[in-house]
Amino acid sequence: MASVELAGLTKRYGALAVVDRVGLRIEHGQLVCLLGPSGCGKTTTLRLIAGFIEPSEGEVRVGDRLVSSAGWAMEPQKRNMSMIFQSYALWPHMTVAGNVAYGLELRRLDRETIRRKVQAMLATTRMDAYADRYPADLSGGQQQRVALARALVVEPETLLLDEPLSNLDTNLREEMRFEVRRLHDEYRYTTVYVTHDQAEAMTTADQIVVMNAGRIEQAGPPEEIYYRPRSEFVAQFIGGTNILRGKGLDGRHLSFAGRALRCSGADVPAGGTIAVSIRHHDIRLLAAPPPGAENVLEARIARQVFLGSVRDYLVEVADGTQLRVVAPAEHSIESGSPVWLHLPPERCRALAG
Amino acid sequence: MTTIAAPLPRGRPRGIDLSRPVMLGLAAVLCVLIVLPVSQLAWHAVVDRDGAPTLENFRRLWSDPAFVEPMLTTLTLATSVSVACCVVAAPIGWLVARTDLPFTGVVRALVMASFVTPPFLGAVAWEILAAPNSGLLNQWYRSLTGAGTDEYLVNVYSMGGLIFVIACYTFPYVFVLVSNALDRIPSDLEDASAILGGRTWRTAARITIPLALPALLAGGLVAFLQAMILFGSPAILALPAGFHTMTTKIWSLFQYPPKPGLAAAAALPLLLITIVLLRGQQWLMGRRGYTVVGGRSGRPRPTALGLLRWPALGLCLAVLACSVFLPYGALVKTAFSRVPSQPVSFDNLTLQHVRFVLFEFSGTRLALQNTFLLGVLSATLGTGLALVVAYLSGRRAVPGHRTLAFLATAPVSIPGIVLGVGLFLSYTRPPFVLYGTLWILLIAYITIELPAAYQQLQSALKAVHPELEEASRILGATRLQALGHVTAPLLRSGVIAAWCFVFIGTMRELSAAIMLFTADTKVISVVIFDLNESGDLGAISVLGIAMLLITFAVVLLVNRIPGLGGWRPARPGG
Ligand SMILES: Nc1ncnc2c1ncn2[C@@H]1O[C@H](COP(=O)(O)OP(=O)(O)OP(=O)(O)O)[C@@H](O)[C@H]1O
Ligand SMILES: [Mg+2]
Repeated sequence: MASVELAGLTKRYGALAVVDRVGLRIEHGQLVCLLGPSGCGKTTTLRLIAGFIEPSEGEVRVGDRLVSSAGWAMEPQKRNMSMIFQSYALWPHMTVAGNVAYGLELRRLDRETIRRKVQAMLATTRMDAYADRYPADLSGGQQQRVALARALVVEPETLLLDEPLSNLDTNLREEMRFEVRRLHDEYRYTTVYVTHDQAEAMTTADQIVVMNAGRIEQAGPPEEIYYRPRSEFVAQFIGGTNILRGKGLDGRHLSFAGRALRCSGADVPAGGTIAVSIRHHDIRLLAAPPPGAENVLEARIARQVFLGSVRDYLVEVADGTQLRVVAPAEHSIESGSPVWLHLPPERCRALAG
Repeated sequence: MTTIAAPLPRGRPRGIDLSRPVMLGLAAVLCVLIVLPVSQLAWHAVVDRDGAPTLENFRRLWSDPAFVEPMLTTLTLATSVSVACCVVAAPIGWLVARTDLPFTGVVRALVMASFVTPPFLGAVAWEILAAPNSGLLNQWYRSLTGAGTDEYLVNVYSMGGLIFVIACYTFPYVFVLVSNALDRIPSDLEDASAILGGRTWRTAARITIPLALPALLAGGLVAFLQAMILFGSPAILALPAGFHTMTTKIWSLFQYPPKPGLAAAAALPLLLITIVLLRGQQWLMGRRGYTVVGGRSGRPRPTALGLLRWPALGLCLAVLACSVFLPYGALVKTAFSRVPSQPVSFDNLTLQHVRFVLFEFSGTRLALQNTFLLGVLSATLGTGLALVVAYLSGRRAVPGHRTLAFLATAPVSIPGIVLGVGLFLSYTRPPFVLYGTLWILLIAYITIELPAAYQQLQSALKAVHPELEEASRILGATRLQALGHVTAPLLRSGVIAAWCFVFIGTMRELSAAIMLFTADTKVISVVIFDLNESGDLGAISVLGIAMLLITFAVVLLVNRIPGLGGWRPARPGG
């Protein structure tokens, strides 16, 4: 089957490793998102998989075939892959139908088959009314759908997408996310999807691979990445979070703002400094101190912002650390008021490293 | 699914890697084109007849008045032309780009017409108009005022005349730079001044003009350069007036007995000044303050001229009269007049010059043939070479692509006459004896036109996003298929434009050809130059017009060839 496997994949430009020992196995039919900040090497990884560039070290395998190894890459046209480019790369001198038919023509299918397949694919992507238009006459979303149609019509084993939605406005982007997922579920090819938008990754992916500076920080299903981030980078990058730093007391506790906090996740080494992540909406704001509960901190409201469905508070604890708390919008607490924060132990994730 | 192929040898490309040989081959070609003549030039400047090193050539250059004077003349000429061009082109550029001047399209077109006029043809036309005795303007002056036969209004055979004529055909360089810069200044910047209470004129003076100033200065440098390296106009106008410029002096050093060492030494300062000026121009155009001008807001809002519109248009037309209307009128009149100095009348109408040029004068047919052949060959080979280099450097396809790009743009800083001397020195002795053949002219033309073609194609290629090619590769196309299906059609109009550019340039080139032609390898520009020496203005006019018509026809034809027509102009996706 056409799984895609990266082993120790490295790409260096000069001394700089842009992709650094990336290891990853993508099962057949899975949709994997490469997620990371700008410049972290996502596009380079994708281009390594596509065969546009050769790895400096490591291998790429598709199914059982070795397609890239150090200094060598099987040519892209032999890989039975399709790719959607960040710029869409629609050919401006061909009509929509011409763009979509191109891959089939290269495969030397007969005219009638090509016509039929193009027709069907344009119908699937709801672009049949535009078959004779030129790309320059289409809106961004329509161009995006043509790019999808052109990539899918050749029935690739592997589909690569490089930030396909980044040029669209917010509404269209949300619509197209589901479109991408729908088409993926319909055809079940192995898909690698590059994005720097975490919401996009959450809604489309089976697996999320968070990259940073050329390396994989964490890989796993969306929920796992969200609820159990393993590093500060992942916690910050996915969803946003508060990072509490304190001294480890024993395996499960750390000292923060003069209190002992119990936490879950990685082991807390006694004596060392440790970071703990807790999401904005996992902290509970209480107007009065709860009797005898653990993990409660005294704080003061520094400012609050009404965001419609929620209120966004900035609170300051005894040692001056500021935390963000998202709470229901109904009751408002004035700036400057004292509050008590409850940090549920199971939501306080101790981070490795 | 079955397993295909065992793992391939690691780290070993399959097939032969062609990139290195291709790179080396191209580098070799470019070196022959550029490095060889320049190094020959430098070498011959510092050795004597027997090959012993000497600085004698330079000593003579700096001490002999026969050389010092042309140098001073050239500097005066270039400076005056540069100032004159700026003074004329800046207001016209501003009027066309930034105001509600009527008929801006026509003005732009006419400025382009003076741009494409070969300067030597303009010089001949102004001979017809303003020679002290036979000049049409002077005759009208005499018949209007009743002045004596030895009086004249204007004399083109003078420093002033030379400056004027060169400026007529050089100001478009400044115009293009200035009006482009003005076109790109976003109107927001002006609006910002207006909202603060700046009046129209104040806004123009404080915002618009300072922003366009670097372009004006760059234009001034280019005009200086053009005036400095021009050969045809000074040869036609300064020699009868009894003075030399550097280019005519270098040329005279090749008249019998030839003194190539001295010519090489005299050519080197031109080369160095050109390099320095071009650096200066690049610096001016590349400065941050200038690139900010590349705004992206919509059409600039024109300044209302009010009643001044018509005088302003008059000013533009007056300038264009000097560079287009009068000269072309004079050429047409002379081409078909029995006696050029007499007024247009039926009696005076004749086809004798046409007959002479096309059927009787033996040199014409050969020259036409040579020019046409050289034009087509240089355009085709030059564009091809530029295309390959532009592709390799644009796509960073081979190691050392930067060197290739540098070599392809380097000839821009070699004046035609300097290149002519270098090529003469390189190809008159074994192992390469090309002097006396068309090959040496072909090499000269390709070298001269390479930078323009390269730059044109490079920017055309920039507009073709590499992902367009990659999209084709990933769908199953080989590199060549991707080039053929995607890149080539998208580059088509750029390639045609570059081809026409080289062709036009070749048709009108004089300063290298004058150093390299022999009796069998004359081209039209050289024939015109020869005819000028024998004073046959009627034949020149016919030949000049024929040359322009041929150029025009070929350019039109190339743009019409079915299949070369180019695709619908469309924005690439996004
Ligand atoms: N051909 C190249 N030569 C040198 N450096 C390169 C090259 N291609 C990419 N890089 C560098 O590699 C790094 C990663 O680039 P890449 O395009 O993979 O980032 P990315 O994660 O896709 O970023 P973005 O989200 O902005 O698209 C960048 O710092 C980039 O400058
Ligand atoms: Mg990218």
